Formats: sequence, structure tokens, C-alpha cells
Amino acid sequence: MAISTEELAGGITKVVLEGRLDIEGAAAVDLRMNVIAGSKKAVLLDLRNVSFLGSMGLRSLVAPARAIRGRGGKMVIFGPNELVEKVLKTSGIDALIPIHHELDSAMAALQ
Amino acid sequence: MIVRVPYHESACSMTANATDATGERLILQSGIPQLSRIPPWIEHLAAKHSIPDNTQFAIDLCLEEVLSNVMRYGYSGELDRPIVVLFTNPRDNFFVFVIEDEAPPFNPLEARELPVLRSLDELRVGGNGIRLLREFAQSLEYQATPTGNRLIIGFAAAD
Repeated sequence: MAISTEELAGGITKVVLEGRLDIEGAAAVDLRMNVIAGSKKAVLLDLRNVSFLGSMGLRSLVAPARAIRGRGGKMVIFGPNELVEKVLKTSGIDALIPIHHELDSAMAALQ
Repeated sequence: MIVRVPYHESACSMTANATDATGERLILQSGIPQLSRIPPWIEHLAAKHSIPDNTQFAIDLCLEEVLSNVMRYGYSGELDRPIVVLFTNPRDNFFVFVIEDEAPPFNPLEARELPVLRSLDELRVGGNGIRLLREFAQSLEYQATPTGNRLIIGFAAAD
């Protein structure tokens, strides 16, 4: 699991995850995600290249989203594949961290 | 929809040497690092039995959920306890995994399914496990065994 960040216009931080967000993947990104959650207020989480999302991986998304919201910020999810989106929706995560498939709408949601 | 599928006692037993003619068995010791053995095994089975990608995803998801729960809660984090996973392909386009452990009896199918999260303040992601199993598997069956638990999960091929 790889994680990288990119600063976009409007103070938005794009966080790109790549690979499998399973138990091992979650362990690999949790520290970095926590740092981002503690310092950024508008986070666009790019899941286009996440091939798998397990229940432990869900925690890696919800905990930072909660921290960001606690500081008055917001996180949105961008571009999950069909199966990853099904995991998110089955878990009800989509109601808490909005899912967008267009970059423009994802960025607008963070403005 | 959850349906019951025929399952033969002789197909998998932690104490017997019986093996199913079409089956393949993976023996794990409890301990989270052992979970890294699951994805390559599923990939191997998928290649050998032409399991579609979507079904492979569902298998991966459900096995991670079940096995991690056995390790963390069934065995309470205790290391080097046995877990056996048996794969069978009882009919075309249907794939069955039998998970056996020696943990205290626990029927996950009777576990209360927690409502979906409504707020980020309700951080209890672990409660999603049974909901994910019911959504991604086509059949679920639990059997108590003399030494522990047996969970039988069936997956239909899905494109």
C-alpha cells in the first residue's frame, strides 16, 4: 500500500492511496493518515487505485475523517472502484464521508 | 440472499486426515501476520478454478473478516492456535470455503448486526463484519464442532 499527497488549489490536500487497503495496508498508512488528519482541514482521498478494501481498512478512513471533522474540516472520497464503493456503502461510510466520481464535484464539496 | 448449501462432514476436520478430492487446504496459526498468506492463496485458487475478479474480491473480503475475528476475538490474540481453511468447488461457478478453529463456541450468524453508522462519532467499524459477510457471500452456515467452530461460506461466480 502506497500513500502520497498533493496540495491542490483552495487549500485542498489530495491524498492518494494505491494498492490493497487490507490489514497490512491499513498498518502501512495509518501513521501517515493520522498526521494528515491532525494537520489538514480539506482532504480529498483518492481511492482510484485502491484494488481492495477490508473492514480494517475502513477504520483507516473513518478515524482520520472523524479527526478532521473534529477540527472543523472535511474529507471526501474520490473515485473508488465498484467493489470498494460497495464495501463503503454496505458499511454506511458513504453517509459520513461523501463519495464523488468527478474531481470537480469532489473539490467543490470541500470548498 | 443467504442459502444453505450441502456440506459433508468428511470434507474438513481439524483432527482427521480426510481431504476432499477437489479441495485444497490452508493451515494457519493464529497471529495477524498470517493473514498475508490469504491473498496469494486466493489468487492461486482463482487462477486454477477460473474464479472471476469480483468473486475473488468477495472471498478476500470475507476471509479477512472471518479470520481476523477468529484471531483477535476467538483466540483473544493468543498466537500459534490452529485455523484450517478448506476450499472446495462443489459445482460449476460455486466456491465454498470452510473455516475451522478451536476457539470457544461462537456463532457469528447469531451476532447482532449493528446498524449502519450515522455519525462519525459512532466509530465502531468492527461491527460491520457480519453485514459485509451477508452482502458479499451467497451462503453462510455455522456448525459447532466438538473442539470449536466451523463456518461455511459459499460464493457464486459473479462477473
